[in-house]
This record gives sequence, structure tokens and C-alpha cells, in this order.
Amino acid sequence: MGQSTPLNNRAVLVVEDEPLLRMMAIDLVEDAGFDAVEAADADEAVRILETRKDIRIVFTDIDMPGSMDGMKLAAAVRDRWPPIDIIIVSGHVSLSEADLPDRSVFFSKPYDWQKVVATLHRMAAH
Amino acid sequence: MADPDPSEDMPNEDMDVERLEALDAYNIMDTEPEPEFDDIVLVASTLCDTPVALISLIEKDRQWFKARVGFEASEMPIEQSICSHALGSSDVLVIPDLRLDQRTRTNTLTTSERRIRFYAGAPLMTPDEVVIGTLCVMDVEPRPQGLGEGQTAALQALARQVVTLLEMRRISQRKDDLFRRQKSISANIRSSVNANLAAQEAGRVGTFEIDIASSMIRVSREFCRIFHVPVAEAYPARTFEAMVLPQDKELQSSDATRREGSAPLDVEYRIRVPGYGVRWIARNASFRHDEAGRPVKMIGTVRDVTAAKREAARVQALLDLGDRLQDLSDVESMAVAAGDLMAKALDATRAGFGIVNAADETVVVPPEWCAPGVKSLAGLHRFRDYGSFIDDLKRGEAVVVADVATDPRTRSHAEALLTLGIRVLVNVPIFELGRFGLIAFIHHDQPYPWVEEEISFVRSFGNRIQIAMSRVQAEQEQQMLNREMSHRLKNTLSMVQAIATQTLRPVAERDLVEAFEKRLHALSTAHDILFEQNWTSASVYAVVDRTMNGLGVRDRIDAQGPNVRFGPKGSLSLSLLIHELTTNAMKYGALSNDSGRVAIDWRIEGTGQDAIFRLSWRETGGPAPREPQRRGFGSKLIRMGLIGTGGVLVSYDPPGFSAEMTAVLLQLAQAD
Repeated sequence: MGQSTPLNNRAVLVVEDEPLLRMMAIDLVEDAGFDAVEAADADEAVRILETRKDIRIVFTDIDMPGSMDGMKLAAAVRDRWPPIDIIIVSGHVSLSEADLPDRSVFFSKPYDWQKVVATLHRMAAH
Repeated sequence: MADPDPSEDMPNEDMDVERLEALDAYNIMDTEPEPEFDDIVLVASTLCDTPVALISLIEKDRQWFKARVGFEASEMPIEQSICSHALGSSDVLVIPDLRLDQRTRTNTLTTSERRIRFYAGAPLMTPDEVVIGTLCVMDVEPRPQGLGEGQTAALQALARQVVTLLEMRRISQRKDDLFRRQKSISANIRSSVNANLAAQEAGRVGTFEIDIASSMIRVSREFCRIFHVPVAEAYPARTFEAMVLPQDKELQSSDATRREGSAPLDVEYRIRVPGYGVRWIARNASFRHDEAGRPVKMIGTVRDVTAAKREAARVQALLDLGDRLQDLSDVESMAVAAGDLMAKALDATRAGFGIVNAADETVVVPPEWCAPGVKSLAGLHRFRDYGSFIDDLKRGEAVVVADVATDPRTRSHAEALLTLGIRVLVNVPIFELGRFGLIAFIHHDQPYPWVEEEISFVRSFGNRIQIAMSRVQAEQEQQMLNREMSHRLKNTLSMVQAIATQTLRPVAERDLVEAFEKRLHALSTAHDILFEQNWTSASVYAVVDRTMNGLGVRDRIDAQGPNVRFGPKGSLSLSLLIHELTTNAMKYGALSNDSGRVAIDWRIEGTGQDAIFRLSWRETGGPAPREPQRRGFGSKLIRMGLIGTGGVLVSYDPPGFSAEMTAVLLQLAQAD
């Protein structure tokens, strides 16, 4: 599935303020065969997106300190970088479809590792 | 010996009320001078040879002079009244020297430049023996001998003459009497008067006869009173037809329906009486026909059934309130629903509730019920912008303003109220734990005769609304707390997942790591279900359904059983058990191939405290079952049974693995 995707387009930006959870997410992303780029909050994520052109997928938590939470970051990504796919995770029980930007997928924490990996692969295959 | 209290013979409260009602019945206060009364004071001053003579009527806070000679003021504050000392007796009160009498020596009439020294007052006693004031004479010289015998008798005779004049005057005004009485009595006296009136009206029957050809209606005196029109023998029928409310027009007969003889015979409709508000009329009628069988007359009776109708409406509103509140979960829609019910029961133009800040003297009104075309008052208001009645509310008193233009609490702000379409205003304060936090309010744009029962009705509405609102608030807080709790719990489970992932990275047996992760998800799923039910309980079906879904095998399961709910502990245990059974089936049992199935059935056996929950798990269509050699964590978990109480039977006999587990339902359903 991912083989035909050019290498410079296989980076996943992981945005998570809790270091332990960020570490796990990076492991997940790398185990799935992607390059992981990390950011501790949404502002840092935006700075990275503004400088790097190889980010294919943004994987973000919702509840984070800083000027934006994950939902606002997702909306900004959808607005400014339309090609990027988005994965949103949160400890909140559920989000309705209407709250989510286009081409984004929500996982409730703790998330199922295999399902997230499958979603990353599906997104990268497009 | 100490001086007697100068106020000790002042009128007491009961006498006050009687006197005020009597005065009001005469409708005499603040009227123009009339020669009959002027003549009497002239005669009195001549007879008694005094420079001053007055007809003095004692109201609550003042005395007012219907006629006077030798005295410039037309009224005086009650504190300066000498006449008020004469109210308690039927005898003439004579004070030879005001300076020497304890009751009057500090009176300003004595001490001021008027220098009144002598006073004699004959009480004005109505036929009901209520003293309403005096005919009095005064002199600037003391008179140690008082009045002569003839003078005293003459003064008493003249006083009787005053009352006779008042009575005559009253009788000539009789038809307006009822109105005027209601206009100026204070609200409290008024409501009791109204209650009496309502009782009387309920028993009254008016009669009528409509001549169909001419549309003229012959009416009885009682009919006229019921419709509040001047007593007359006949009226055009349209006089009364015009009074009927638009929404009740079809009930009232018309020229056409009378001619056809099709007018409904027994009806109840509402009329609007200018200056008196809405009244309910019950009308029963029948037709008289000519020889050709054509209706020529419609004759019948009318009754004022307003009091009965309103009472029924209040009872119904209280019944409906419970139902309406039960279905609502936010404060705003509760206020609107309750306002709607109150307004209908009270024919109001506006009704609702306000959340009060007593310290700031402000009220926030959520959207309330308004009659069509009436502007909403939703938003923040300052009580003082509308008068001083907040003082009464803070004391816990219901405020009934019968007319905002005349009530002393609102008359200086009447314009502000009338602009909002408020003629009659009722505010009932609702206290919770001694704190004034809510008011119920009712507005009428036309006069409305409030009765005591209606105030109680509003109060009881308010109390019930408050309870409902507190309930909603508590539920919202609980919901928030649950959300927060769930969030934290799930974050914690995520941390456990992260720590485990890091810790177990070097472990070669990836299937073990994966099994751990899946168990963590089963636990998390059970928490989700519990959260959705406010952390109190989860249905067995939901737990089975969601756990299977999480593992992606829901379509291979046939689950059925009665609607049973477990408490948190029972739900978590069931969810873990189902998870283990399912993963085992996926590895070794019916779910390891593409066609096997699992049937899950549960039921309750027995009743009461000993009721047993029994769940069976039966696999079919899988490979031949084999008892495992090694007991892993999963098998141990299964053997522990529901909430670790055992009661598990497993079988590896064909056609497939099966398990029966039982536990006491009460323990499963317990909250913790």
C-alpha cells in the first residue's frame, strides 16, 4: 500500500503535550513505517507545518495548553494545508461527525494501536 | 402616675378596616364641596357659637374635611387629628381646654399659631355603627363649661344628618358603587371583598329574552349586573355580543344562528368587561317558535361562573405542571412551560419567573410566556426602576399591585410599567433555604380582581418550579463531574498503555503484549458505557454488544436476554469476562474459522434478594474443542466468574466450548 508513496511524503506530525503519550505515539508512527515529527503543542505544530513540506498526516491530541487546542489545530490544517489528513485523539468519550473537519478520523483514548496503524496506512495510500 | 399614652384611644386595626370600607362605600373622599354639607357646618358653628366647624372624615393616614368654616386646610395628617380620639365612642367628645388634656396638649393645633383651645366632636356613625369621623366645632378660647345641653343635642342631631346625607348620596350612586369600591381599596381588603363578590355572583342568575326579529334583548337587573352594564330593561343584542372574546365568538348566538334556530343552547364563553377584565359566563337558552315553527324568541339564563372556572383551571394547571416539568431538562423551557400554564389559569398577558439577585436588587428574566402581541421582558431588570415593591419581596411578602398608577409602591414609576403593558402586577417571592432567589410574576394589561387562592396558587407554582430547577442544576453539575471523571480516567488508561508499550518493547512474544492492550480496551469500553448512564449502571446487552464490536466479531454473535442492568463493578467484570471468552474463541474456538458462531443468552432466575443472574456462552461450528494444557490469565479470569464469586461451569464437549456462569443479581446490580 504505502510503497508507491514518495519517501519525502511519508512524515507524520505527532502533536501531544504529555511526553509519555507523545513517545508512544511516535513509536506507533515509526512502527507503521513513517517518519515521525514531534510537537508539544499546536503553535509548535503550525510552525513546523509552515517550514516543512513533507508532512502527510497530522496526529493530534485535543486537550493541550497554548493558544489552540487540537480541534482548532485540525481546523487550521484543513484550512491552510488541504492535502494533509488528520487523526484526532482524545480522552473525551466521543465527538460527533459534525465536529470533525473533512478527512479526519477520531479515536477515543486509550486508542487501539492496530486500528490507528491501519488508518495511517489507509490515509497514506491515497 | 405617668401620663397615659396619647395613642391609646387611637383606632385599632379592625376598626380601621371597617371604617375604610365604610368610607369607601360612600365614595366621598376628595369630592367637591356640596351645599348640603356646607350648610350643616354653618349651622353647627352658629349653634355652638364657635369660629370653626368641620365635617371630618378619618382615613388611614389623614383626616379630610368634606365641609368647613373658619378653617383653611382641607385635610390634616392623622397625627394632628383630634377627631380621631372621638372614633371609639358614640358620645360627643368635649375637651374644654386642649392645653390641659393629655391627648391634645402637644397637638400642633394647640401649639401652633392657630391656638385652638376648645373642641367638641359628635361622631358620624353609619347605620352599621361604624364611626367614620366627626362633626366638630372648635374655639380659640377655652370653655371650662363645655357645650350647653341644647348645643350637644343639636350637634348630635346634625351629625346624624350628615350620615343621612351620605346614605342618600350613596343610594343614588348605587349602580357605580361596586366599581368605585374596587377602585381605591388597598389590595388586601380588596381580595377579600372580591372573594365575597365571587361567592355572591356564583349564586346569581340573570334572565334574558331575545326578540329574534328586532335583535333586541330584554334583560333582568341581575343580567345587567352580571354583564356590568347599567340596569335597563332592554338592549340591542349586539351590545353583549361585542363583549365576547374573539376566540369564543362561535359559542355566542348571532342574528343568523338565532333566525335559523341553530345557535348552541348551553354554552360557556368569556366576555371582556372594560375596567373589570375577563369574566366567564354560563348561558342556557331555549327557543320559542311561532305557529309556523319558526323561532321567534330565544330565552334563557346567564350566570357568572368566573370563580368556578378559574378554580378548575388552577387545579388543572397544577396537575399539568408535574407532567410538563418531568419532560424538560433546561431551566428556560421550564420557565416558559410553567408561565404558559399560569397565564392560562389567570387570564394573564404575561407570566413567568425571574432569577433574583437580592443584594443587587436585580432580576434576570428568562424567556417567559406572553400573550400574542405582547413584548417579552427577557433580560436583566432593576427592581427600583419599577417602584419600591422589592422591599416587600425581600420580606417574603407577595406583592399584588391592583393598579400600577395608584398603588403607592409603583405610582411614581407607573409610566415605565404601563409602557410595558403592565396594569396589574403580581410578584411572588420564592425562598430556598431562607434565600430569596426566584420570583414568579404575572402581568395583566387590564384590571384583574386577584383573590387569595390565586396568590397561593402562584406560590405553589413557584415552589415546584424551584424544585425542578434545582434538580436540573444538580443534574448538570453531575454530568459535568462525570465528564471530567471519565476524561481523567481515560487519560490515565492511556498513560498505562504508554508505559506498558515502552516497558514491553523488548518482549518477544508480541501476542502477549497485544492481549494486554486489548484487555485495557475492554476495560475502557466498559467505562464508556457506564459513563453514558451517569456512572450508575449499564445494560448487559450494551456491554456484550460494545465489547464484541471492539473486537470486530459482533456479526458472529447471537446475544439475547431480558433487559438487565449491572452496577459499575458488575459491568466491568462482565466486560472483561466477555472479552476473554471472545479472544479465546478467536484463537481456538468457534471464531477461529470463518463460519462458527457464539450464542450468548442470559436470564434471571428467582425473585427478590435471592434472584440469580445466569449467562450461558455456547460455541458452535468451530474446530473440535480441546481443554488447554496451560491455564493463562484469561482462563483464570473466566474461572473466577462474575465479580470473582465463582459459579462457573465450563465444558469442552462437542459441539463446542460452553460456559455457564451465575451470580447473585443483587451483587451485580449494586452501585459499588
